[in-house]
Amino acid sequence: MSHGMKTILLAILAVLGFFVPMILGGSGAVYAACVLIAIFAVMSYGLDMIVSDLGEVSLAHTVFFAVGAYTTALLSASAGFGPLLSLAGALLMALLVAALLGLVTLQLREFVFSLVTYAVAVVAATVAQNWSFLGGSDGLRGIPAFEISLLGFSARNDRELWPVAYLLLLAAIYVVSSFRRSRLGQAAMMVHLNPRLAVTSGVDPQRTRLQVFLLSAPITASAGWLYAYQRAYISADVLETYFLILMLTAVVVVGRRLLLGPLVGVTLILVQEKFFSFGGYVDKIILGSVLILTLSFLPSGLVGIFAPLRTLFARRQAPLGKPIPERS
Amino acid sequence: MNLTQQLVNGIVLGHAYALIAIGWTVLLGVARLVNFGHGQMYMLGAFVTWYGVSRLGLPYIVSIPFAMLAGVAVGFIMQRVMLRLTLKQDLVSIMIVTLGFGYVLHGAAALTFGSTGQILETPLSTQDIYWGDLWFTYQDIAIVIVAILFFAALKYTIDRTRIGRLARMVAEDPQLAALAGINVKRVYFGVFAFEGAAVALAAALVAPRTPILTSMGFDEVIVTFVVVVLGGIGSVTGSYLAGLALGLFTAFFGAFVSPAYATAAAFAVLIAVLVVRPGGLAVSPGGR
Repeated sequence: MSHGMKTILLAILAVLGFFVPMILGGSGAVYAACVLIAIFAVMSYGLDMIVSDLGEVSLAHTVFFAVGAYTTALLSASAGFGPLLSLAGALLMALLVAALLGLVTLQLREFVFSLVTYAVAVVAATVAQNWSFLGGSDGLRGIPAFEISLLGFSARNDRELWPVAYLLLLAAIYVVSSFRRSRLGQAAMMVHLNPRLAVTSGVDPQRTRLQVFLLSAPITASAGWLYAYQRAYISADVLETYFLILMLTAVVVVGRRLLLGPLVGVTLILVQEKFFSFGGYVDKIILGSVLILTLSFLPSGLVGIFAPLRTLFARRQAPLGKPIPERS
Repeated sequence: MNLTQQLVNGIVLGHAYALIAIGWTVLLGVARLVNFGHGQMYMLGAFVTWYGVSRLGLPYIVSIPFAMLAGVAVGFIMQRVMLRLTLKQDLVSIMIVTLGFGYVLHGAAALTFGSTGQILETPLSTQDIYWGDLWFTYQDIAIVIVAILFFAALKYTIDRTRIGRLARMVAEDPQLAALAGINVKRVYFGVFAFEGAAVALAAALVAPRTPILTSMGFDEVIVTFVVVVLGGIGSVTGSYLAGLALGLFTAFFGAFVSPAYATAAAFAVLIAVLVVRPGGLAVSPGGR
């Protein structure tokens, strides 16, 4: 497929996507699910860049999500800022936290990196539960409705919030796709797959890692921003392992480095939880098992099952769902 | 505030931490594997012991091996599922898979044991000892004694016995070990079974100190990280000392600054160590 046709096809898909909740009946529950899917997909796209492109596992992305949500809650409820200003605040705070965390973990790789990021998530949860500035265990209430008076736009329910959520999703997908085509994205892949080649080609691995980290954190934080408006209240449960497992599963289940992978992954998970739920604990077991089984038995994700079929029909120069090569 | 009392608390807490972390130390140092479900395995050990004592009416001493058996079973299943990843030494995937296992364990435990907090009462934890103005329980004494014995036995096994040598060889070079006729898979299974048993033992001993919740694994695991990393990854003696140091630190920090932020402070220490000597973490494989 030529590049131009691909763009046109994607544009059509993007327009059609907006009408998905209407096609599905347009009930309140459908809109609520669609808004959540969009928010969580955006959250996952942030992590996707780290896991799929950089080849590291950051377990601190729930922290960026929480930073986005808490900053929004503080700015909108206490300081009376509108959505656009609180978005700017959320992105800025996420950048700050990511820079701090990125600099500290710059030297660390693989499991030590993950270990420290996990510890950051645990500590962030204790801080959020105990610090009265963040509302302690009660959380922060009274986040106003999403209203941009400049545009005369206001969203008081999920149906009205859907355009915002959908735009945010498109923006996130656009950023990730441009990132993959950019010099930084290619440098990240090189650092991931062949660090030595990267160094000899004049790519600074640490710099690249830090830059990707700084790009990825605001994406996840922007999801937190919208989540705060959607829920109208934020508490320490945004730091729960649920979000972490959700993100990780969404990133790996369909196949890594697939542009729509995280979106499809989040959709599968949330549709199960919202419309085919077996109760919270069983859902937990299902979600965890999907993550385990995908990584253990389907390293290239669900796409891997169909990949052999695809070769029957199309001649492809490079496989799409390429498994991440092992590192020794 | 009684200084000596905090010292006693710190020593007990330190041995508890060391005992909780020992499974990870061996896992990482001997087999170069990680387990992010460690905290949830601790939780499971505590709840199985609790179930044995208060629901089945088993004596405490019988409930402990019962819990350890459950730990071995979980370790075995985990290792069976991710054997391919283990043989490939794909640490990044192993991390995520074990995290997923922890999540599943949490869900399964909440489903089985309910989500309310419980108190694990043992014959030892209800007997107080007053010594001057110091206070502790027989449970505390048991923790310290078992931890010391366990560490001594483990050190001996790794350094001096055939099993220890095999495990160290597999850690050093799995391919070469396989060429030399060692059943690498069996060693990996053994190490994971040990991890399960060790953390269940630790849980059965340490959990009576505090109320138990099915959601407690998330916090519990951070203590393990700090102990393992500060101890110089994979070092048995180092873990013991690091556990003790962390226990003392937590006791004094909790008493004089703030108990709520004790974990956060321990983590700050960890960060400081990592920033100061990031290279010091790469201990040689099979390092002791």
